[in-house]
Formats: sequence, structure tokens, C-alpha cells
Amino acid sequence: VKLIQSACSCFRMAVWDLSVTVEDLGADAPPVTLSVTSDLHVGGVILKLVQKTREFDWSDHALWWEQKQKWLLRTAWALEKYGIHADARLVFMPQHKPLKLGLPNGKTVQLRASFSSPVFQTVIGICRMLNIRHPEELSLLRPVEEKRKKKDKDITEELYDLTGVPLSSVSRPSMYNGMPAHFVDSAEMEAVYKMLSVTQPPPAPEVVAKQYRPASVVDKAHINGRWLDSSRSLLQQGIQENDRLWLRFKYHAFYDIEPKYDVVRLTQLYEQARWAILLEDIDCTEEEMMLFGALQYHISKVAQSEPQLLASTAAMDDLESALQSLEVKLEGESSSASEMLDNMTAPELNDYLKIFRPKRLTLKGYKLYWVKFQDTSISYFKSKEESFGEPIQQINLKGCEVAPDVNIAANKFLIRLLIPSPEGMNEVYLRCEDEEQYAQWMAACRLASKGKSLADSSYQSEIQSISSFLAMQKTKSGSHGKTPAADESINTHSLVSPRYHKKYKAKQLTPRILDAYQNVSLLTLTDAIMRFLQIWQSLPDFGLAYVVVRFKGSRKDEVLGIAPNKLIRIDLGVGDVVKTWRYNNMKQWNVNWDIKQMAIEFEGNINIAFSCVTAECRIVHEFIGGYIFMSTRNRENSNTLNEELFHKLTGGHEAL
Amino acid sequence: MDDIDAMFSDLLGEMDLLTQSLGENTEPPHPSLPSTDKEVNFSIGFTDLNESLNELEDNDLDALMNDLMADLNASEEKLAAEIEGLKPTPKADLPQSAPTAPKGPSPSLPHPTPSLPSPASPESGSSRTVTSPASSATSPLPPPQSSKPSMEEIEAQVKADKIKLALEKLKEAKVKKLVVKVMLNDGSSKTLMVDERQNVREVLENMFEKTHCDCNVNWSLCETNHELQLERLFEDHENMVEPLLAWTRDSENQVLFKEMPEKYEVFKNPQNFYLWKKDRKTLKDMKDKDKEILIKENFCGTSIIVPDLEGVLHLKEDGKKSWKQRLFQLRASGIYYVPKGKTKSSRDLVCFVQFDNVNVYYGQDFKSKYKAPTDFCFVLKHPQIQKESQYIKYLCCDDARTMKLWVTGIRIAKYGAALYENFKASEKKAAVNAMFSNRNSPSSSSQSTPSPTIKAKSPSQANGHAPQPSGGTITQDLGDIPPPPPPPSDHTFSHPPPGSGSSPPPPPPLAAKNSIKLHPKHRQPASRSPASPASLDPLPSPPPPPPTEDSSDAPPDFLPPPPPAANFPPPPPSAANFPPPPPSAANFPPPPPSAACFPPPPPLSSMPLPPPPAALDLPPPPPDPSFLPPPLPPQAFTGAGAPPPPPPPPPTAAPPPLGAGPKLAVRSSGSLKKTPPVPPKRTTPSLQGAGGGGGEGGGDGDFMSELMLAMRKKRGNV
Repeated sequence: VKLIQSACSCFRMAVWDLSVTVEDLGADAPPVTLSVTSDLHVGGVILKLVQKTREFDWSDHALWWEQKQKWLLRTAWALEKYGIHADARLVFMPQHKPLKLGLPNGKTVQLRASFSSPVFQTVIGICRMLNIRHPEELSLLRPVEEKRKKKDKDITEELYDLTGVPLSSVSRPSMYNGMPAHFVDSAEMEAVYKMLSVTQPPPAPEVVAKQYRPASVVDKAHINGRWLDSSRSLLQQGIQENDRLWLRFKYHAFYDIEPKYDVVRLTQLYEQARWAILLEDIDCTEEEMMLFGALQYHISKVAQSEPQLLASTAAMDDLESALQSLEVKLEGESSSASEMLDNMTAPELNDYLKIFRPKRLTLKGYKLYWVKFQDTSISYFKSKEESFGEPIQQINLKGCEVAPDVNIAANKFLIRLLIPSPEGMNEVYLRCEDEEQYAQWMAACRLASKGKSLADSSYQSEIQSISSFLAMQKTKSGSHGKTPAADESINTHSLVSPRYHKKYKAKQLTPRILDAYQNVSLLTLTDAIMRFLQIWQSLPDFGLAYVVVRFKGSRKDEVLGIAPNKLIRIDLGVGDVVKTWRYNNMKQWNVNWDIKQMAIEFEGNINIAFSCVTAECRIVHEFIGGYIFMSTRNRENSNTLNEELFHKLTGGHEAL
Repeated sequence: MDDIDAMFSDLLGEMDLLTQSLGENTEPPHPSLPSTDKEVNFSIGFTDLNESLNELEDNDLDALMNDLMADLNASEEKLAAEIEGLKPTPKADLPQSAPTAPKGPSPSLPHPTPSLPSPASPESGSSRTVTSPASSATSPLPPPQSSKPSMEEIEAQVKADKIKLALEKLKEAKVKKLVVKVMLNDGSSKTLMVDERQNVREVLENMFEKTHCDCNVNWSLCETNHELQLERLFEDHENMVEPLLAWTRDSENQVLFKEMPEKYEVFKNPQNFYLWKKDRKTLKDMKDKDKEILIKENFCGTSIIVPDLEGVLHLKEDGKKSWKQRLFQLRASGIYYVPKGKTKSSRDLVCFVQFDNVNVYYGQDFKSKYKAPTDFCFVLKHPQIQKESQYIKYLCCDDARTMKLWVTGIRIAKYGAALYENFKASEKKAAVNAMFSNRNSPSSSSQSTPSPTIKAKSPSQANGHAPQPSGGTITQDLGDIPPPPPPPSDHTFSHPPPGSGSSPPPPPPLAAKNSIKLHPKHRQPASRSPASPASLDPLPSPPPPPPTEDSSDAPPDFLPPPPPAANFPPPPPSAANFPPPPPSAANFPPPPPSAACFPPPPPLSSMPLPPPPAALDLPPPPPDPSFLPPPLPPQAFTGAGAPPPPPPPPPTAAPPPLGAGPKLAVRSSGSLKKTPPVPPKRTTPSLQGAGGGGGEGGGDGDFMSELMLAMRKKRGNV
């Protein structure tokens, strides 16, 4: 008021016409014309505008200056201060608009995101709505165009609609049962939450094959050119209502993962990692691929059988969990007597099996014996009748390696044992008659190799997982070329990258995945997901974002790899790491926006400078600053995000 | 030999009787003995035990006895009397060669495992044999799974309760225990009883107590494989017994207790592993802050990061003596190599080995054994493999640094976060220890640095010190002896007989516990005994050490005597030894002073149990003084006193930690006050003399005088 008064008294400002397009009146509606003076503040303009138009909820609306690509968010600023004159084309529109957001799990949600705040804040809002903690690790990028062919069946895409979520609940979400309250409103909303928090079943191999796969480091580098600028708003970056963007974990420095609170975060992180593996976004060895495959299989199986697991553990508050664990304890105590009895009457397996010892130089081949499995040892006898006497041999399986050799079509159910002894490893093959027998004995062998006896509680589940894996192979071989049989079945090709589709047939792949599977088959869902993420994170190339650059003084393109803790310089030709610089030795970095060059100074007078080829300088700049920001997070302030610091470290270019 | 045998069989028989008298179900003590041989019939276990016992030196036996004693819960009192009777007699010299204690039957051997129908009667002792009631049902044949049919009957409840009880007992009884002989790097050894539930960390703590070393993080237990010329350090979280069970019956494998700087090197200088490509200077000048960051990055995140090692190593070809070069890569999932003609791209790598089922070992002297290009070799093999086999993978590096990189890298990949946890625990322990030692010694700064006493000795021992003690090497022994700390502990063991009666309660037979309990008893005698012992303190300490340390030499004479009567014999030898030591000199002198420190504290300290390790050490000393002939030692000391000055630092360093315990104890222990006063007086004179002798000796003197002051204060308060 004071300001206006003083302004009024000083100048008699001329009145001029300002035309404002009101988006909500429709595209064809003519702009509304207002009479204003230059000292009128933006708030005043909005007030006049609202008075001139119909009743409406304008609370989310703001003015956008089209020519300057700029929001007029400071309502106390006078038009003059913004430099707005009669030729300005202003648009009055909601700040939150629907956006189609591709999630790491491949699903698309439609939600209302802020088009006016810096993307950094927009992402915070989105993550709040989706219930993802540590939004600073995520960002938005423009999607890779999908292959043309797909156009015809575009319509089939499923959209999870979150546009109905009131903005108020986003700014201050209340939690109910561990999920934001807005997900409890209706069955549809609950379904959305389930999509967010439960891992997706393995994709069909064709789907994987159809996806865009970067073939080289340069391809991977191109993807990084798509990240949006965190310090500017969506609208400023040309994103329109209902446009499609991807939400991804950008900074691979995952802070403080807590399965109890991070259900959605963990699930989406897992999905992003899984796709990175399947699409060979990150390289791994064949052994690692098999382990990833086994974990995917396990995760999808567990997630299907108990889809509420993650959600329910999250929903449990402290008291509840305490009570529950107490219950378990009591139960355990009361049952300990019967448990001990069970232990005492140590279960055994007794049956006729064919045994073969390849090491022996005999040509005898398989011979039928009465075999007894007790504790962690197998003993075999000539016949059942002689089983009271001394066994021909007793073999302790503790510490041994167990490998399956199964071909259902050929009715071959072989257990290959590699049994350690002081002299080396001894090979022993056990040949079973059928699936059922095989599952029982295989499970026993596996447990024994880990030093567990048949009495172990995991025995039954081990048998089950073996049978289900067998069943999977069965449907596979049975449904050659036909449409997939039971929905239970998973094509092992779904679990590995397309490279292995060519290299191995599904039935060749199954035993290898099964082999890796035995080490993870008893993990809980959360543990399995965590394991997957850990293995992913320990891959040598984990977290590397590539950018093709040209170093000062160099005549060829090279690749800069930006890792969470360092920069690496990679020779494009050989693929070798030429040089490594760590952030903690970094003294300062500068961006010359004019010549699009970045200069970095490290301790010890090391200076490097490069221009960026496949991405803008600001992207490299933001990556580096972002990672430095991530490293400043700590326990004390883990709940508050120092947004200012983030922009300080990553922004700066718009000032120029 | 015969004596010992007789003694043990007597003892065992006694125990048998006792346990039987205690009722069928309660026989806790008994199992421990037979259980050393698990999976073997009781009778077999018995003979084996005897056999293995024969291989022990008798002071080992004392220690062992001590441990065993702890197992006797209810019966201890009666037994104590018996044992006292027995103890004195055993005195035979036993061949002490056997490096390891009795082990279970070699795993490879098929065990008959006859299942005894006896329903869970603990009597059977050996764990496996008891198939329990179910055995009747199971053995028949077909119904393998139907385990509890018979039990479901009406009386089942009652029966079940009984069985449950029996099972609990059994479970306890099932606990396997090994007698493990641990070699120190001075050639001496310590014998421990290791419970199958114990991990390496616990055994290490045990060793700390027994050796009075400085507890720094480098101390490790290692296993050696004689036949394959391998050595591997046990990780602190590993189970101790398991790898030992893999040894073959006739193996010459050993367990070593020594400092391995590479054990936690990666946490002290992470840059050497994670930034190994950088030049040497950068690595050396690395700032602490940057080291911390490295550790945080690689060990404190959601996943442990393995150093990205890549390089050409020599691989021994299967069955041949030739080595061929390959480009290897270490990844968290295993070791890979780049096949010929392929790129280094991950997907082309060929898996060489994964770590789930193998351990990494240092190879020793492979140049001559396998014609390796260098002696910097490491080996990957399944822990069960003990002999040459095609399943062993031999790799050879160009230099020591590369080998360290790879072995450490593999350990990180294999053990992950556990390594860091281990390190933190070790560091804590070392810090606590250092704290005590600093508080103790006034001249701590100089003293604290010199590491463990043992280390100090080792050099002297290195001079052709054969692990097996021979009478001739007495002088050298003395040198070793100085490390006094160990000896005292042994002494405590020797005393067990008297003490055992009182101490037995601690069922978990930890030597430490026993010794602690013993102290009180010792104390009293010590305190009561005329001043003479106290005055001896400085000197006396030397004598005791010899017996304990080089168990081999004097042990026979010493150990048996533990009881008071025995005291006399030992002193003479020690006295005889003394004269020589002074000349030999420099090395030894230090020890005496340290020894001197201990004696006084012990009596006092006994009360304050707080610093357990220290406390343990102390108790022993008191007895020692009483044993020794006062007159002789002092002389030796003073003579030695002069030379010591130079060496003192190292020895003193060791004492500080020990002394710390005592000191604190002094302050805290109110009740004992009376006894202490006497000893101090005597000690002071001797100390002063020593102080005069050597400038540096003053440090010790200071310590002593401080102690004196403290004691006077105490007295004053009283």
C-alpha cells in the first residue's frame, strides 16, 4: 500500500491496455484486456482479471509471459519492475498441469505437476505424490522416441490417473497405513499404489527386444542430453500440458534406503536397475547376468505370491511390529518343545537312486543303490535290506557344490555333486527317477551344502522352488511356438538381456539361472531387491553417466564419465579409462557459457577444460554439482533439503 | 607319559563316577571331554583324547586342565580334591611336537555312525550317534518323513518334557571343543580350548590375555598348510573350529598368532587399494580426510565396493609346472580373465573363479616348489582341500604390492562389510588397550609407541630359536622370557588345582574367567606371605616367564609344581639362568623392568576386575615372587639394570598396558589395601636401584614411584 501510494504521488502514470489470455476460457476465446498502469503489481493484475471473468477457482493460477518465457510469480512486483509493456502477451493459466510421466517400471502415470516452479521442486512434488523419499536423486528427462512401428497399437497404453489428487494433499501428505492418504480414496487409487509399490512381472522377451538399446558408449552419452534443467520450470523448457516425460533416478548416490519407508522408492529403483541390465545400459558378465536373472525370477515369484508384503510391512508402525515380533517370540518359545522333538526325530530321505562317480576309472556307469539322506550326509547301501549295516560309503555334503543337470524332455534328473575332500573335489552324480524325487533330493543336497539338515525350516520351500522351476521348464518345452501356457510360467529369456536370447536357448538358460538361483532362493522380497541393487551397484560401471566431450588441446572426441565420486576420461577408441579425477580433490569448476566450455581445477594445479558434444554444458555442470550436493547430505539434516545449496551448485547459467 | 596317562584316565574315571552319581540327565562336565572328537564313538573319542593329550606339553596340560575344570559345574568341589592329588604326580616330559591338538576324525572318512536306540540318553556323549527315540522308527525303512508317530501317544507330553530336557543337555554336550595349540612367532606356543561356537575374534581376545601383547589391530590368527606351503589369516568373524576340522589327522598344519599388517591395511591406507593406479607419491601424501572419504565411499554405502583390479598375473596351468600369463580382472562377483582375442568388455570376460566356496591363501616359496616366476603367489582353494589337487588355483604376481592388492581385493569381495566391522571392533579393542597403557605409564609417549612385548622379543628369538625348547638355549629363553606377560598367565593355569575348586563355576571354560577367579586366592597367599616376595617382585618375574614362555624348556619341572611345594624347584633353574642374561644383555634388560612392574600390581589389582585382560595378567605375578629365591634375582637385576636403559622403551611399552590394569585396580580396590602396602616398600628400593642404573630406566622408576604414591595414598585413606 505504501509503495503504491508513494508511486502514485510521484508519478501520474499513464494508463495502458494489457491483454491477457485466459487459458481456461478456451483456446478460441479472445484475450481479456485490462487497463493498467506500470506501477500496478502483478497481484493487482490478477485481481482485475478475476473480476472480469467468471467465478472459478483461480488459486493455482499465475501469469506467464510468453515472449520472455517467464512466469510472473512475484505478485508484489510492479509491471514496471518486470519490464512489461503493452506489447506483452501474457497468459493466465494454472501452475499445475497434467503430465504423462513414464516411471522406471515402464508404466505411465498421469498427474498434475508444477509447470511454474523449478524442475527440482516439481520433482519434489511428484515424489511426494508418489511417496518416494529423497526426490533430489531423481529428475525428469525427455523420453527416447519410440520406434515407429509401435504407433499402430499406441492406444493400448495403460494410463494410471493421478490427476484427481488434490494439490493440498501433495503439499502436505498425510499418511495412512504407510501410504499417502490419497491412495486410500478408492480402489482405483489403491491399484495405482500397487503398481507403484509392487515389482512388475518380467517383461516378455519381445518387449525387451523391441526397446531401444544403446549400442555404444556414444549412444549412452546421447541419453544424458535429455535431462531437463533443474533450475528452470517445465514450461520454460518447452514442456506442454500432457506432454510425456520420464521420471528416473538421475544421481546414483542412494541415500539412506530404509525398506520400511521406501517401498515405492525401492521398487522403482529396482525397476530402473532391472531395465538397465536388460537393455545393457550397464555391462555385466555372463555370471552376473545369470544372478540378476535368478533374482528377477525370485523377486517376481515372491511378489506375486505375497503382493502385499512390502506394503504391509511398511504399513506396520512401530508398535504393531513390536507386538508382532513379540508374538513370534512367544510362539517360538511355546513351540520350542515340539520343535525340538522334530529336530530329534531328524527327518531322513531313503530311496533307491542311481549313483555314478565319474572319477573312478570304471566304465560301470550308473548303479542302483539304496541311498539314505540324513543330517547333511548321504550314505548308500547295496540294497534296502542291508541298510542296517555299514554303508558302502558315507559322504558329508557340507561345503559341497551342487549343480542341476535336468532335461525334462529326456527325463533326465541329475544332481551333480562336487564334494570337497582333503585331496580335492570328488564328483558324484545322483540320478533321480522323476521330478518329485529330484526336487526332494535336490533340496536336501542344497541345504546340506550350506550345512543345514532336512529338519531346517527352509526345506519345504526349497522343494517348492525347485518344482516350480522345473514346471517352468516344462511349460517351456511343451509350448514350443505356441502361446504361453499358464500365466505362472516365466520365459527365462525375460530375465536376461537380448544378447543371451541368441546365445542360449531357453532350456539351456534355465539350468544356469537355476544354478544361480540356489543362492538366493530363500531371500525375502525386500532382501532380494536389496541384493539385486547391491550387485548392480558393485558393477564397475555403475553410476557412470557418459558425455562425449572434446578436451582442450585434443583433436578427437573422448568420453567423460561422471560417477558419483569422480570423473573419468575414457578413450573412445579402446574404451580404456585414461584418467580419473575425484571430486574431493576438486577445487573449483567454471562454466564459460559463451564458448560452452567447462574448466575444472583440481588440487595440485591440475586443470582440465573441455567442451561438451552430446549434451549441453549445463548438464555436465549440473551432474557434477548435483553429486557434490548429494555428498553433503547427512543424518542431521536428512529431513530438510537444502534447495538453495542445490541450485547454487547446479545453477547459475540463467544469470547470464 | 605313563604318569600323565594314568592321571588322565584317573581323572576321567573320576568324572564318570561323578556324573553318574549326579543322575542320568545331568552330566554337563563330561561331554566336554569326549566331545573333542565329535562324530566318533565314545570309546574312540576317549582313546583319541588320550593320544592327543600325550602330544601336549605338560604345561599345556595344565592349561587344558584349567579349561576343563571350568566345565565341572556341580562336581567341581569333589573333583578339586581329586585333582590336587593328581596334579603333583604328573611330571613326565612329553614329546611336544604335535602342533595341533586333537581333532575330530578327518572329514573325509566315512563315519560308521551307528545309531543308538537309546532314547536321548546323554550318556552316549558323542553327538551324532544319538539318533534319539525316533531312530527306532526311522531305521526300519520306508517311512522317512513320518518322524513323530510314536511320540504322539498319551504319555507323549511327559516324555516330551523329559526329552526336551535331555535334548537341551545334549545340545550343550554337543558343543564341540578343540584343544588348539597356537604358535607364537618366538617359537613358543599357547594352548587353548576352543569352543565350536567361538569365532576368531573371541579366540584372539583369549590370546591377548595370554600373551599380554598390545592388542593392536594387526594381531591375527593364521593357519598354515605345511604340505601346500600356504598361509591364510583367519578373519575375525570366522568360526574358529570349522577350518581346523578340515585338517587331516596327520597334518602338520599350524595355527599362528602373529602380526599381519596387511590384515586391515585397506582401512588404514585405502588409497593404496582403491587408487592403486596413482603414483606412489600421491598415495603417500594422501590426506586423512581423503582416506576417510574413500572408506566411506567404499564401505559405508548400500553395497561394498571392491577395488577395480586389473592386471596380468601368472596362472599355473593344471597339473603342469608351467605358468602362463593372463589378463585378470577382479569384480565383486569373482575373478575373470580376458580370453585371447577378445576385448575387455564385461560381457566377454570369462569367469575364472567365484568366491563362495574358496578361500584365498598366500603361497610360500612357490618359486622353488612350483617354479613360479616370483615368490609372490596366492592360491584359491576350497578350505577342505588339504593336498595337491587340480581344484587348487595358483596365481603369481610380479611383486609384493600386486599380491597384496589382489589378496586384499579378494577378501573384500568375499567378506564385504564383515571386514570393516571386524576392523572397527579390533580398533576399539586396541584403543581401549592403548588408553589403559597411556594412563599407566607416566612416560607413556615414548613407551606407547613400541609395540607389543612379543614383538620386541621376536628379534632375539629369531636368532636360531628353535620352536622346541632345548635345555641348552637357556639364555635365549631368558630373552624371550622378559616378555613376562605370557608367563604369568601360564602360572595362573598351573595353579588351577587349588583355584579350580573355587573357580569352576564358570562353565563356559574360558581361560580368562578361570584365571580371574583364581586371583583372589592367590592374592591372599601373596599378600600374607612376608615381604620377601614383594621385594622379589622385580626379580621374580623373570623366573616365571621362562617356564611359561618356552614351555618346552623348564616346563616339565615347573608346571607340575604349581602348588606351593613346587615353587622351590623352579627358582633354582631360573636363578641359574639369571647370571647369564645380564651379559647377553641389551634385549633382556628391558623385560626385567617390565616384569618388575607387574608383580606389585598383581596383588593389588586382583580386586579390580574391570580391566579384565590386565587383571588377568597381574594375578599370576604374585605367586611368582613367592616362588623365587629372593636374593639371587635382585642381583641379577641390578646388574642387568644398567644395560637396560636403551632397550627399556620397548619393554616398558608393554608393561604400561599391563600396569594400567594394576594401577587402576589399586585405586579402586578398597578391601585389599592391606596387603599391598607391604610389597610396595620392598619394590621401591629395588626399583630405585634400577633407575639409577640407567637413565631410561627412570621411566620404570617413575612408574613404580607413582604406583608407590598411589598406594601410599590408599593407605593414608585407609
